[in-house]
Amino acid sequence: MSASQQLTPTNPNSALKIRLAYRFLLTLNTLNAKKPPNFDHTQIHRRSHRVKIAAYASMASVVGPKRAWSRAILWKIRNRGMLARNKKRIHRISTPIRLHRHHARRRRNPNRVVHVDPFVNSGLEVKLRKLVPGAETIDPCGLLDETADYIKYLATQVEVMRNLVDLYSTI
Amino acid sequence: MSNRRSRSRQMGVSRINDDQIADLVSKLQQIIPHNIHATCSNKVSASRVLQETCTYIRSLHREVDDLSERLSELLQSTDTNSAEAAIIRSLFM
Repeated sequence: MSASQQLTPTNPNSALKIRLAYRFLLTLNTLNAKKPPNFDHTQIHRRSHRVKIAAYASMASVVGPKRAWSRAILWKIRNRGMLARNKKRIHRISTPIRLHRHHARRRRNPNRVVHVDPFVNSGLEVKLRKLVPGAETIDPCGLLDETADYIKYLATQVEVMRNLVDLYSTI
Repeated sequence: MSNRRSRSRQMGVSRINDDQIADLVSKLQQIIPHNIHATCSNKVSASRVLQETCTYIRSLHREVDDLSERLSELLQSTDTNSAEAAIIRSLFM
């Protein structure tokens, strides 16, 4: 039987795919159990947003707290209610609070010189920091490492989702 | 790796950083889908690799959005229990 032969995959990528797919399906299942079947146009947009959040959440929870990007994703998802509420407040009282927190962080690590820029092009580095979650305060070496890891998991997650869409559309 | 970093801070940060960055940039270059320009892959600059990384991440984000939209539409129209069992079985085969 081909199923029993494939239980020990030699390719590590397929093992990762199976883990991601399993986690994603679990999350989707709990999503489906909660929502009432509405066919509004607004509900469609909200449902696709929930599927997207489920994808990122399952991807991050497979990795766990080992990586900065997964921690950032999990934190953002858990606190997205609070973040949405604070976004309205931050526009009014933005800069003084941010400066205070920035100074507090500097006082804790006086030896850490973060502004040494081995990249000739700091514009790209800033863009990369914005794209990879949780990468705003990492040193440049760690940033590249996180980016590589993030890309690997994200590409596998995209593959899993693509396979799912193909399978669902043929059923 | 943390030991290396603490030692490097005493010796001089820039020397160790260059080697590590070259290693990581080459690792990124392997992960990103290869394009036609990678004929002389030794000479591809770090800025080019970073630029491609940014565009690749952005395209992946866009694909996740698109796929989640399609998935939500498809989930709506099928019964989940039977479909899920079939999918899990086919993933393992």
